[in-house]
Amino acid sequence: MGLHMPRGTLVVCLLIVGALALLPLLESRYLIDLATEIMVYALFALSLNVIIGFSGNVSFGHAAYFAIGGYVNAILLTTYGWPLWLSFPAAVVLSALAAAFVAYFCTRLTDIYFAMLTLAFSMLVWAIAFKWRSVTGGDDGFVGVAVPAFIDSRVPFFYFTLVIVTGSIALLWTICHSAFGQALVAVRENLTRAGFIGVNTRMMRGLAFVVAGTFAGVAGAIFAMYNRGVYTESAFWTESAQVLIMTLLGGMYSFFGPAIGAAVLYILERFANEYTQYWPTVLGVILLVIVLVLPEGLVGLARRLGARLVRRSGA
Amino acid sequence: MTSTTRITAAAAALLAGSIGAAQADIKIGVLYPTSGTGAVYGVPAMQGHDMAVDEINGGGGVGGEMLVTFARDTKLKPAAAAAAAKELITKDNVDVLVGGLSSAVGLAISEVARQEGVIYIATIPKTIQMTTTKLHKHVFRTSSHTDFEGDAMAQIVAQLGKTKLCDIQLDYAYGHDLAAGIEKGLKRHAPNVEKVIDLRSKLGATDYNAQITQILGTGCDVVTSGLWGSHFVNFAQQAQPFGLFDQVVYISGGEIASHEIAGRMGKDYPDNVWSNTYELWYDHTVPAHEKFQADLAARAGTKETAMWPVLAYIGVKFIAAAAEKAGSTDADELAAALEGMSIDTPVGPRTIDPETHQADTGQFWGPMVRKEGVDYRVMNPVTYIPAKID
Repeated sequence: MGLHMPRGTLVVCLLIVGALALLPLLESRYLIDLATEIMVYALFALSLNVIIGFSGNVSFGHAAYFAIGGYVNAILLTTYGWPLWLSFPAAVVLSALAAAFVAYFCTRLTDIYFAMLTLAFSMLVWAIAFKWRSVTGGDDGFVGVAVPAFIDSRVPFFYFTLVIVTGSIALLWTICHSAFGQALVAVRENLTRAGFIGVNTRMMRGLAFVVAGTFAGVAGAIFAMYNRGVYTESAFWTESAQVLIMTLLGGMYSFFGPAIGAAVLYILERFANEYTQYWPTVLGVILLVIVLVLPEGLVGLARRLGARLVRRSGA
Repeated sequence: MTSTTRITAAAAALLAGSIGAAQADIKIGVLYPTSGTGAVYGVPAMQGHDMAVDEINGGGGVGGEMLVTFARDTKLKPAAAAAAAKELITKDNVDVLVGGLSSAVGLAISEVARQEGVIYIATIPKTIQMTTTKLHKHVFRTSSHTDFEGDAMAQIVAQLGKTKLCDIQLDYAYGHDLAAGIEKGLKRHAPNVEKVIDLRSKLGATDYNAQITQILGTGCDVVTSGLWGSHFVNFAQQAQPFGLFDQVVYISGGEIASHEIAGRMGKDYPDNVWSNTYELWYDHTVPAHEKFQADLAARAGTKETAMWPVLAYIGVKFIAAAAEKAGSTDADELAAALEGMSIDTPVGPRTIDPETHQADTGQFWGPMVRKEGVDYRVMNPVTYIPAKID
C-alpha cells in the first residue's frame, strides 16, 4: 500500500465530495445541516481511528480534544476577537499540544490501563470546562460564538466545512498510508516484535495520539462555530463513547469505516429521536450487534458479503 | 419505477421532511426532556402543553388554524437540544419553539432561535442571562428567573427578622445565579443581615453531612438554599437527626414547596421550611385555577397534580394569543405581538415586558405546615410574591 489511493476508492471519494458540493442546489436547510453535522462527526471518528485502528489502542477520552478545539476556537473568536485564520489554527495547535501532554503519560501504559488514563484526562478537561466558569461559561456553556461574517450563514458554512473536512481527511489518509502509518500497523499487530525490529513503539503510539487529537480539534473547532456554542458535555465521557461506537460500527480496520459508522449512527439517532425516547436502548442494541455479529463493522460486513457474491458468481 | 428507485425516492423524501409532516396551521416545536433524569420534569410539562393545545384546538383553534405539536426530547443536554431545535425548524418547519428546562439547554435553544430567526418561548429555564446579556429579539421567557427568586427569599429573611445567614447552593449555574440573586435581594431588603458562610455542593450530591455540621457550627438562624428535587430530599433526611431544622428557618428556592416534593417526602418533610412553587393544586385563589386543576387531574389520573404542567400550559397560551394578535406566524410579527402582551392564566395574569422579554412571573411562597387528615405538608399561608424588583 502506498501513498496513492486506489483508483476505485478515489473515484468514490470524488463522487461523494462532488455530490456534497451540489447538495445546496436542493435548497433543503435540513439536508445541509445534516450533512454538515455528519462531516464533522466523520472527521472526529476518523481521527479516533488513528489510535484504535492503526496503533491498536483504545481511547475512552477522545472527546477531550474535540472539546478543546471547540472551546479554544470559540473563546478566541468571541472573547478575544481574534480573526478565524488565527483562532482556528490556534485551536488545532492547542488540541495537538494537549494530546501530546496526555500521550506522554498514557503511552507508558498499554491495554485497559491506557484506556482508563485517557478517560481520566478527558474528565479532567471536562472538570476544567465545568469549573472555569468565567472563561468557559461553566455548565451554561459558551454560547453565542462570534462566527466570521463570511461563513455566518448556512450554505457558506457548509462549504467551509466541506473544504476543511475534505482536506483533513486527505491529510489523514496520507499520514495513515505513509511509512509512519505502516509502522503503526506493525505496532498494532505485535508491539513486542515491532520493538525488536527497531520501531520506537512508545513514540509511534504517542505520535498517533497527537495526530488523532489534532484532527479531533479540527472537528471540534468547526462544531463550535456550527452550533454557535460549546458545552461541557462535549468533553464528557459519553461523547467519547459515542465516537468510539461510531468507529466500531463502521469498522476500525478500514480507513473510511469510521466515517461510514459516523454517518449511519448519526442518521439513526436523528430518526430514532423523532419517534422514540429510547435512543440509549437502540444504541445498546447496536453495540451488542457490533460485538457479537459485526466485529469488523459495516465495512467488514460489506467485504464479507462481497466475497461471498464473488465466490457464488465464480461457482 | 424500480423498487430501488422507489426506496431511494422515499428515503430522499423522508430526509427532506416531506413525509410525516402534517399540514399544520401553527406548528409548535416542543423541547422538554422526556427521558433520563429530566423526565420527571419534562413528562408533566408535556401534559400541560398537550392540555393547552387540546383546549385551544377544541375551541376552534387560533382564527380557525389548529395548533400542531412537534416534540423532541432534549435529554437535558444543550448540544442535543440545539440539534433538535434546528431539526424542528429545518425539517418540520415549526413556527415557534417552546420549552427547555436547565439554563444550559435554554441558552442553547435560544441561540438557535437567534440564528434561525424563530421565536423561542422559554417556559422553565431561569438563568438571568437569557433576558439580559443573551437577550435577542426572538427569545421570550414566561418562567421566573433567579433574580426574582433571590429577591423573594431576601424579603422573607427580612420579614422573619433573621440576622445570621448561611447559604448553601449547588455548584453549577443555577446555584451561582440564585446566590447572586439572594445577595442583591439582601442589599435591598435586609442590609443588616450577616452572611456567615457560603457553601457549595456538587450537582447530584447525595452526602451533605459536612455542610450540615458546618452550618450547625456557625450559629446561623436562617439558611437560604436552592437545593432542588432529590438534593433537598437527601439534605433534609440527613439534617433532621442533627436537629438542624429546629435551629434554623430554611428558606429555599428550587420549588421544593411543589407537591412533587411534598407528596414524595410525606411525613419526612421537615419543619421550619419556607419555599416556593409556581402552582399549588389545592390553592384556587385565582378562579380559573379550579377548572385547570380539575382538567389536569382528569388527564393525569390523580387528585394531586404536579406543578410543571402549568408552565408549559402558559407557554402555549402565549403562543396562541400572539398568533391571534399578529394574525400571522411570521417571527417578527409574533415578536411584536408578544412584547407587552398580557394574558390571563390559571395562576393569575401574566405580562411580558417589552424591553426584557421577561414575563412578570412571580411565585407562591410560604411555610410548609402539617395538615389534618393528610400525610404530606401543605403551604399555609400561601403568599404570591410578584416578580418585581424595587
